[in-house]
Amino acid sequence: MNLRKAAEVLPFIAPVQALVLGVIVIPSAFVVWMSFHVSSFGQAPQFVGWANYLKILTDPAFLRSLGNTFLIVLTAVHVELLVGLGMALLFASGLPWRRYLLVAVLAPYAVSEVTAVAMWRFLFDPDLGPVTMVLQSLNLPILDWSFEPSHALIMVGLLTVWLHLPFTFVILYAARLAIPKDLYEAAFIDGATRLQAFAKITLPLLGPAIVIALLFRYIFAFRLFSEVWLLTGGGPARSTEVVAVYLYEEAFRFNAFGTAAATAWIMVLISMLLAAGYVLILRRETAADAY
Amino acid sequence: MRTDRLYIGLGKTLAVGLVLIWSLLPIVFIVLSSLKPGVEIFAVPPKFFFTPTLEHYVNLWEKWGTFFQGLFNSLVVTVGATLLAVSASAAAGYVCSRYRSRFLTGSIFFLIVVRLIPPIVVTLPLFPAVNWLRLNDTHIVLIVLYATFFVSLGTILMRTFIDQIPRELDEAAQIDGAGRLTILRLVILPLAAPGILAVAVFVVVYAWNEFLFAFIFTATRAKTAPFVISEMIGSIDGVDWGVLFAASTAQLAPVLLFVVFMHRYLVAGLTAGATKG
Amino acid sequence: MSRIDDFRFTRRALLGTALGGAAMLAAPRAFAAGKTLNVLSHKVHQTVLTAGKSGDLLEGWRKANDAEIVWSTFDSNPLQDRLFREASLGETEFNVGFLIDNRPTAQIASLFEPLDDYLAKAPIEDFKDIAPGLVQAMTIQGKLIGIPVRHATQGLFYNEALLEEQGIKAPPTTLEELVEQAKKLTFKSAAGTPVVGMVLASDLAVFPVMFARAFGGDYITKDFKLVPEPEAMEKGLSVMKDMFDAGALPRSYATTSNDDQVTWLQQGRAAFTVLPFARNAQLNNPQQSKFPGRIKAVEFPISSALKGKMPMSAVVESWAMTILKNSRNKDLSWSFLREVSTKRATLGMANSGNGPVRVSTYADPDFAAANPLAAVEAKVLAHARGAFPPFPEAARAQSIFLEEVQLAVLGRKPVKQAVADIRARVQPLLPA
Repeated sequence: MNLRKAAEVLPFIAPVQALVLGVIVIPSAFVVWMSFHVSSFGQAPQFVGWANYLKILTDPAFLRSLGNTFLIVLTAVHVELLVGLGMALLFASGLPWRRYLLVAVLAPYAVSEVTAVAMWRFLFDPDLGPVTMVLQSLNLPILDWSFEPSHALIMVGLLTVWLHLPFTFVILYAARLAIPKDLYEAAFIDGATRLQAFAKITLPLLGPAIVIALLFRYIFAFRLFSEVWLLTGGGPARSTEVVAVYLYEEAFRFNAFGTAAATAWIMVLISMLLAAGYVLILRRETAADAY
Repeated sequence: MRTDRLYIGLGKTLAVGLVLIWSLLPIVFIVLSSLKPGVEIFAVPPKFFFTPTLEHYVNLWEKWGTFFQGLFNSLVVTVGATLLAVSASAAAGYVCSRYRSRFLTGSIFFLIVVRLIPPIVVTLPLFPAVNWLRLNDTHIVLIVLYATFFVSLGTILMRTFIDQIPRELDEAAQIDGAGRLTILRLVILPLAAPGILAVAVFVVVYAWNEFLFAFIFTATRAKTAPFVISEMIGSIDGVDWGVLFAASTAQLAPVLLFVVFMHRYLVAGLTAGATKG
Repeated sequence: MSRIDDFRFTRRALLGTALGGAAMLAAPRAFAAGKTLNVLSHKVHQTVLTAGKSGDLLEGWRKANDAEIVWSTFDSNPLQDRLFREASLGETEFNVGFLIDNRPTAQIASLFEPLDDYLAKAPIEDFKDIAPGLVQAMTIQGKLIGIPVRHATQGLFYNEALLEEQGIKAPPTTLEELVEQAKKLTFKSAAGTPVVGMVLASDLAVFPVMFARAFGGDYITKDFKLVPEPEAMEKGLSVMKDMFDAGALPRSYATTSNDDQVTWLQQGRAAFTVLPFARNAQLNNPQQSKFPGRIKAVEFPISSALKGKMPMSAVVESWAMTILKNSRNKDLSWSFLREVSTKRATLGMANSGNGPVRVSTYADPDFAAANPLAAVEAKVLAHARGAFPPFPEAARAQSIFLEEVQLAVLGRKPVKQAVADIRARVQPLLPA
């Protein structure tokens, strides 16, 4: 690109780049610096090398929060994918009032995490919640989320799935609609069963969309904060903490900015790793676009 | 064969029913409960027919005046963030669509990588920085933060949508002597309206609902509605569930209606945004 | 006056006609007075000052100063987090913050305005009348940084009606009796409500500390001895675990908050709880409580082995009002502090359920008559001390302590192990 052209382009992309640089990139770089120092309110930063990283990597609370995060990411996202896939196929099989049903399914997308927590706390209140009542009257086990850490994590998982299912569903549904009808017609003429058609046509052609939906959800589920913070606050006994909650506590409860920064940077690295495959694929594509 | 169809039909109806219950029941419950008299909220079995009352909304108005100020703040922040994100993304998306160069490819790649950084990470250094700029507890800080976390998706979406507008239109305008900015404003933007709306839906929903940044960067003047609701969850006196539901409903209703009317663009945006970057 | 009344009317009228709309959204801003004082506090402080039995104690002050008070309220721990974060900024919107006495380390104290000069220039009415011990707790390195406004001395509350229902004639006088009664009171009441013996919040150090002290132990002493009598701590936690196992503490123990304690007692869902004596008025408030007049309090009982040998040392926590050093309009803030500290306001708050910081309040005949607990409280207060002293890592230490306590009570870790872990994990955090 020659200089004249660059001068022409620059003003157009400058606002976006300035925002991203000022708000995300430079602060993140500063977080790296912070992670090698110890500091608190009214205390000058002091260089400590890798000590902050060592401290959190040997802190059982951090390791537990990391474990919880992965647990939620892996189970909730995969459950979400299966349900989303099922719904996409259901919608694609032809339904009456499809537009209205679509709107209904999208509705949770509009709900804020805070409001969702209020809803779910009420529905699943262990003493008085309507869902608890129904489960009890059917002699089913209730979700004892205020006592059992595993139940609390299930509750967080359900809440996450509820909030993000619209996203996964829409991606898979759109991909499914993009598969040409004649492929199926040809297969059925050749005597294929529904199952065979699903295995040989639907699944392979949905592949890229599935991978993309998964990667996006991995990355976003990894940031999980509000649901846990507002539902359990990380308790009982810090057993339901996730990484973002751990970071918040280090930073804003214990005022230990060094370890908080180290936690933050570990979060960034893991997010990058989760997305590495995706970025590589994209890079190849965008690079191909350029020529 | 006929019974087969019947079973499939039944199965489908059942599945649709489950999907509807899953998606809508929590929302319906909150909205209905906000209109129930206090004693009936926890009635067993739940009552679906009752004399609606506005008592919780009256209570909300009298006891939680800050909530309504929070709604107003949310509105200001949402409008501001949407305008900023849409205009910045449109400009960047336009040149990314019309030029091909290593530099632009690199900058798009950069935007994608930046999207991977979890928002909570930047709160640490930004908290003192925002304060140094005297922007703590202002609408501006939230507007800038919310817009920034959506400009990368916005740029990519706008590029995708503008790609579909024939270049001949630009060229015709160029021959007529229009500059790049004029072309963008008068030729491209009107035709890229669906893209603009798609970007807007994302930003509106995010800015209206966001909790973490509001929780950390605002205190009194710019406190948004979700933040006030979180305070209510924290300090609710058992019997006040009704007020919480009233607030939740008031916060939820506008954005829910917005999504219902704009769902077409939401779907288009989700699809384009995910598959293209 | 009329302006505010008109406004009320408008609000109602608006509500009657339509919900929503920008006009209504903008309305709360329209009535802002000349000046604004932003106060960062717990909900309870706002309630006793503006909406308790004594009504709005600050109405006169607001008019005289043409100032509106804007309250931002949080639960105790998030409140202190927020206060320090705001105070560490270059400038803050908040003028006055409520500070707990176990928080001000030298570093934290430096974030707040020293008040000695203000006190000299515009003195507080009969300042010597304010309990000297509480003033002492707010004097850091010779500087007064906060004016005491509330003390919370913990007592044992019980629901008399539920005790009678289970045939219990008198509240417990030893810890062992308390446990026994609490277990007996875990039942389905005649009203059909499932009752638990006792409800305690799990996010405050106060409760495990009280149980340890009933056996002569402690968590961290004033001179920074960590768990001085490990066996006493073990006994205390074992008792809590035993109650939990018997269902006499709710299964939701680990997510129970301070506010839940009040609600559960008011609703008859729990028979006992440990709360500040000052909560008596709220617990018996006929508008909220299903058992007005039936909720009473006594001193938290000591274990039978120590009864008569040493006094039970209950936990006392005090709150003080501070002026943030980085705030504006400090004279207005000081005027607010002075007003809240007057004898009139102190008495008014006490009648609305505040632990009065003035000795003279206890002597007020009307107060004593209306507060049957005044005598008990004064007696308990004599031997009470803070849960732990302030030090830089106190928040982290409390969090570790509570984590281990929860693990022990919920049966996820043997009590002995939990106590050993508290000692091992908290020790490095104590000041050298």
